[in-house]
Amino acid sequence: MNPEIESNRRTFLRQTSSGIGAIALGSLLGDTAKAARPDLPHFAPKAKRVIYLFMSGGPSHIDLYDYKPVLVKRHGEELPPEIRGDQRLTGMTSGQKAFPVCGPIGKFAQCGKAGTWISDLLPHLAKRVDDIAVIRSMHTEAINHDPGITFINTGSQIPGQPSAGAWASYGLGSANQNMPSYIVLLSQGNGKNPGQPIFSRLWGSGYLPSNHQGVLLRSSGDPVLYLKDPPGITRQNRRAQLDDLAALNQLKFSSSGDPEISTRISQYEMAFRMQAAAPEISDLSNEPESTFQLYGEDAHLPGTYAYNCLMARRMAERDVRFIQLFHRGWDQHGSLQSHLRAQCRDTDQATSALLTDLKQRGLLNDTLVIWGGEFGRTAYSQGKLGNGRDHHGRCFTTWMAGGGIQGGVSYGETDEFAYNIASDPVHIRDLNATMLHCLGIDHERFTYRFQGLDQRLTGVEEAHVIDKILA
Amino acid sequence: MCDLILRPRISADFRYALVLVTSLYWGSVCVAQPTQYNQQIRPILAKHCFTCHGLDAASRQADLRLDVRTNAIEFEAIEPGKPEESELIARIESDDPELVMPPPDTEHQLSSDEIQLLRRWITQGAKYEKHWSYVPPIKTEPHKTPTTWSSHPIDGFVIDRLKEVGLKPKPPEDRLRLLRRLSLDLTGLPPTIEEADTFAADQSPEAYEKVVDRLLASDAYGEHWASMWLDLARYADTNGYEKDRPRTIWRYRDWVINALNQDLPYDQFAIEQLAGDLLPQPTNDQILATAFHRNTMENDEGGTDDEEFRVAAVKDRVDTTVQIWMGLTMGCAKCHSHKYDPISQKEYYALYAFFNQTEDADRRQPTLPTPTRLQKEQIATLESERATLEQRYNQDPQGFPQAWTTWNSQFERHPLWFPLVKSRFESKHNVTLNQDDQGTLVATEELPDKDIWKLTLELPNDKPLTSIRIDTFPKLPGGKWQDKNVALRELTIELLEPGKDPVPLKLVRARADFSQAGWEVNKAIDGKNRAGWAFSPNAATPHCAVFDFETAVEPRSGQQLRLTLEQEYGNGLLLKSFRISASTYPSQWLMAELDAEAGLKTIFRQQIFPATKALHTQVDAKKRAIAAVRGGIPSTPIMRELPLTQHRETRIHNRGNFLDPGESVSGGVPSAFGELPESAPRNRLGVAQWLMQAQNPLTSRVAVNRVWAQLFGIGFVETEEDFGTQGTFPSHPELLDWLAVDFQQQGWSHKRLLKTIVSSKTYQQSSATTPKQLKIDPRNRLFSRGPRFRLSAEMVRDQALSASGLLTQKIGGPSVMPPQPKGVWKSTYSGDQWKNSTDSNRYRRALYTYKKRTSPYPAMLTFDSGSGEVCQIRRVRTNSPLQALVTLNDTAFVEAAGALALRMETSAQTTREQIANGFRWVLIRHAEPAELDRLLQMYESLQEELADGKSFLQSAGRSEGDPRLVAVANVLLNLDETLMKP
Repeated sequence: MNPEIESNRRTFLRQTSSGIGAIALGSLLGDTAKAARPDLPHFAPKAKRVIYLFMSGGPSHIDLYDYKPVLVKRHGEELPPEIRGDQRLTGMTSGQKAFPVCGPIGKFAQCGKAGTWISDLLPHLAKRVDDIAVIRSMHTEAINHDPGITFINTGSQIPGQPSAGAWASYGLGSANQNMPSYIVLLSQGNGKNPGQPIFSRLWGSGYLPSNHQGVLLRSSGDPVLYLKDPPGITRQNRRAQLDDLAALNQLKFSSSGDPEISTRISQYEMAFRMQAAAPEISDLSNEPESTFQLYGEDAHLPGTYAYNCLMARRMAERDVRFIQLFHRGWDQHGSLQSHLRAQCRDTDQATSALLTDLKQRGLLNDTLVIWGGEFGRTAYSQGKLGNGRDHHGRCFTTWMAGGGIQGGVSYGETDEFAYNIASDPVHIRDLNATMLHCLGIDHERFTYRFQGLDQRLTGVEEAHVIDKILA
Repeated sequence: MCDLILRPRISADFRYALVLVTSLYWGSVCVAQPTQYNQQIRPILAKHCFTCHGLDAASRQADLRLDVRTNAIEFEAIEPGKPEESELIARIESDDPELVMPPPDTEHQLSSDEIQLLRRWITQGAKYEKHWSYVPPIKTEPHKTPTTWSSHPIDGFVIDRLKEVGLKPKPPEDRLRLLRRLSLDLTGLPPTIEEADTFAADQSPEAYEKVVDRLLASDAYGEHWASMWLDLARYADTNGYEKDRPRTIWRYRDWVINALNQDLPYDQFAIEQLAGDLLPQPTNDQILATAFHRNTMENDEGGTDDEEFRVAAVKDRVDTTVQIWMGLTMGCAKCHSHKYDPISQKEYYALYAFFNQTEDADRRQPTLPTPTRLQKEQIATLESERATLEQRYNQDPQGFPQAWTTWNSQFERHPLWFPLVKSRFESKHNVTLNQDDQGTLVATEELPDKDIWKLTLELPNDKPLTSIRIDTFPKLPGGKWQDKNVALRELTIELLEPGKDPVPLKLVRARADFSQAGWEVNKAIDGKNRAGWAFSPNAATPHCAVFDFETAVEPRSGQQLRLTLEQEYGNGLLLKSFRISASTYPSQWLMAELDAEAGLKTIFRQQIFPATKALHTQVDAKKRAIAAVRGGIPSTPIMRELPLTQHRETRIHNRGNFLDPGESVSGGVPSAFGELPESAPRNRLGVAQWLMQAQNPLTSRVAVNRVWAQLFGIGFVETEEDFGTQGTFPSHPELLDWLAVDFQQQGWSHKRLLKTIVSSKTYQQSSATTPKQLKIDPRNRLFSRGPRFRLSAEMVRDQALSASGLLTQKIGGPSVMPPQPKGVWKSTYSGDQWKNSTDSNRYRRALYTYKKRTSPYPAMLTFDSGSGEVCQIRRVRTNSPLQALVTLNDTAFVEAAGALALRMETSAQTTREQIANGFRWVLIRHAEPAELDRLLQMYESLQEELADGKSFLQSAGRSEGDPRLVAVANVLLNLDETLMKP
């Protein structure tokens, strides 16, 4: 903060140190406690924050993580009907006469000390596999994007539920006095452009108080909506205005006695600080060249995935509670070869750079990183052989890393066609339960009373923490 | 007094406060008191026991029900009067992990207080009660203790409670503040200064009532209260899922505004929205009302199953209906019988069955043309003007007969049309054509399946030919081909001259008296064989088509015309009997719909005789105007019942999965809340009547509670969305019931209800508070002071626009796009764009702001308004730094500050007066001297501090003036008091 502004002659805290200023400051500090649930965490958390790299569109587990030699061998042959079973297909392939098996487009190799299978489409991640726990047995009931993406982000296919980030914000509050506790960043890959839409419901607060909804950190214009003072208003002007505002509000407080007034003053103060803090996060001028070597040159360009990964690290450093990247373009119904490669090129280096960077800064220990999409893709071709893959909810791959998670682990198996789960199924409820567990939260006890029910992120059906990947 | 015990389980935010309230009365007071099942016992059982020992048979353990007294006694779980012999007590007190209840793995644990309560309850006889809200409300008398404070029934109930806790009501609020509160509550807008001064000066006892009546009668009233209803109706301007395409349904929003302004009784209001289409001879407006349930989302995503999203919409309708009118959550019963409230899964699908019979299926259809009042008026006016003009046009004015005779005589020499004579005919299939003396050509043979004809015609060589005409005559029944239609797919014409190549002649302006849909006559000359001119289903009458030559044909001797008639559609759809004519007259006289001879008089009237020609032009203009208005009539999605024969079978969805159908069910209502009225039809209309019948214990309570919450910031039942056994117990049960019954007795009049409430002294109390009061009644649950809480998102905007004089007062119409930061809308797969309005729509009331579900207007979202995806029963108020950024920096508010400053600047000479005026426009009350001092001090210090005032002025939409006043106005619009209801 500019020292000049700090020492402004009318800075209200000094001026009114015995009046409402004191109250305001008190409630200011109290705010974080107020936003958080007093009963949380339920136990000592391994992770203080989450970076959720959400890959929107349904990345292909078959081409990236789930190596099945049979698919290579039987490329072009009809997928055995007993494998396909009576699965519900989307309208995009349900009318197909043939379902030819389509082998992975890249080459797989075992990597790291753990020997984790990974495709050569992800050469950078291949070097970091010992940090991540790959879950190959994820599944969901949804087969279309909107219900699918809503399901994995809010725990329900039906709109109206709070997002995972909102739950975390509501439960744990903010650890940063100057920034919102849940921040969202968007990017679009070169694979399928435009990718299918994403929407504010995915970071919405549902029935939770609306201050827990994700705040979009924008790549152009104000980083946070309405952040910038109107042209002509300097920081000093704004400081002075807020001092006057506080003084007038204090007068009101003395006649009305409503403690909400002091909360209001503190919120205006936080807004003022956020106006400095948010641009500071996106000010990369002090990042050394090595940062850009690590994340790639794209990290200079606001709005790219690499830039957002770098932002995520900077926000993690500043203790933002829940950071979620939405990267679009993983919906490879067609042009599988070129589009999927493009998606990987856009993201692979930055993703692994983020892991490397967090680790070298000692942040990976208490930051949970999640990588995944709303579903996987079919082992059979959509359209002619090799053209593309349709949505597939029966199994897909997600990985987790960092706070609370064991590195170098693979969990769950699919059948030889990567079509059905063979062992250790992980529903997206289980994933969410595991995420909350890492944050020190028992998902069953973390409830919010709404419509007569103790609502929770993991819903009414059973959910289990994936113990075997926990550190 | 124990009914004050509000179990602290609403949300963590509120726990502390509630614990404070409850702890004050807990213990000492309650020990000797009899236990009360509804307030004290049921909540414990519901929380810890009913999941496994309640209504839901599927998850019931050991066949034990604790929600039914006889069952619990039979089972020896409860031995009335003898806690020591009751298994229930033994189990909850047990140390044995095998025996203790609830089982340890459920992580439910009863507190010792809860166990003590259960013991006392059993000692006292273990009396059960029906859940309070399932028993119809009764009006009881207030004033258990006499008071001089007020004779208003509401005040009687309120003061009874205040006395219990040793609080006194507050004195009345200052008149100007009170007026601001009242105006904001009834209309969502602050009063004008003139209104305020009039009220302040009016010392008559009726002054307040007069204002109430005036506000309730204003149009702004309906606009304000519509906002609340639109949250419930999950109104939005887009489809919601994925691509989130635009949806035209704003006529429904306007219906709500109008219904509220007309004070349509709440029962009728409900019935029309739920089942207006099923009323006898429904009006257009009653059908429009059913758009209420077409506000459900639709999925345009590729590859989706329409049935999946139709089912989701129908479930949403069931849930929303029960939520809005009964305050109950049906959602659970989609998958299993409700565990707490008496709704079985079968009953859920029985209700669903009634809603499962509408035509819509995740598509926009069916829709209804829904003209606005203005459009209706415009059409009516234009139609009547047209009729008058037409009448005059059809009369023969002076000189008309003579002029007509003269003009008509030219056709004796040269008829309008003259038939052309065949000289040669070629057919691929040996068809021959004979021509009679009328010029009619008749094909003699049985027509082939398809054919191409080349017909050469003689050309008279006196005058240039302007047009050519084909008359067709119906085919006789019988013969090989059943279908008597004709498909002339392509018509081409060439000019033949001996020794020269044929010259193609271009035809333009094709017109016909009739064309089959998709086979419009212009397709016969479009150079493509795909379609042409045909006239099903009117093949049994003669038809005529006219084509103009692009350039008039000036025939020379020896020339001929050759027509090529491509009729290769198949099925014998060929011409059988027809005539080809030509004309030498102006093409605008040659109208296909006119009979060649009788039509002449029409041409003369329309185009030749000056007086009638002028009238014709006017009639034509009116017709075009009418068509233009009609073209702008919005269509609105509505509910339409399927014919009985097409009714869908409804089957239970096992575990809520529509792909897993179970037992078949027929329409019905949850039995715990009364049967369908005998006279009611067994459809949606019946459901609506059932909801609104007087015996329904919930409907009126839920409604008045909701209105109360709007005015006081919190309902008697705080969980407005849950009146079931898991909801909070009302803070003032008798008052809630009194209002509920009164509401019905007053004919379900929303306006009467509001008048009743705002007339109470409770409502009119000062909102100032003291530490003592805050300690006893921190959240004003006892109404120990006037309501003071933040304005809604809509009010925050509308107030700023109103105070600054920017507000555009226009009721209804398509949703508008006030300024929104660039890049907020990132529409994918569509060209939808947010275009900041630059006209008066920039300053419309918030409720008219275009609502895109996947990207709601951010400034309003920040102030807790929803996305319109699902029914929103209440908005949880928040106070966040992002709100500060909106009112400080959002263009809408900066422009409001600019306009307010301009008003201030021109209103007085001195700055102090200008600021005082601005203060009043925003807050209505007069500024205190200390407040004015501070604002003036701010203004003066800006002299040196505001370096770039010009830029600031510009951002506030001003080109000149005093930027320092804009900064002051900016502060005025951000005062806590401004953002709060006084």
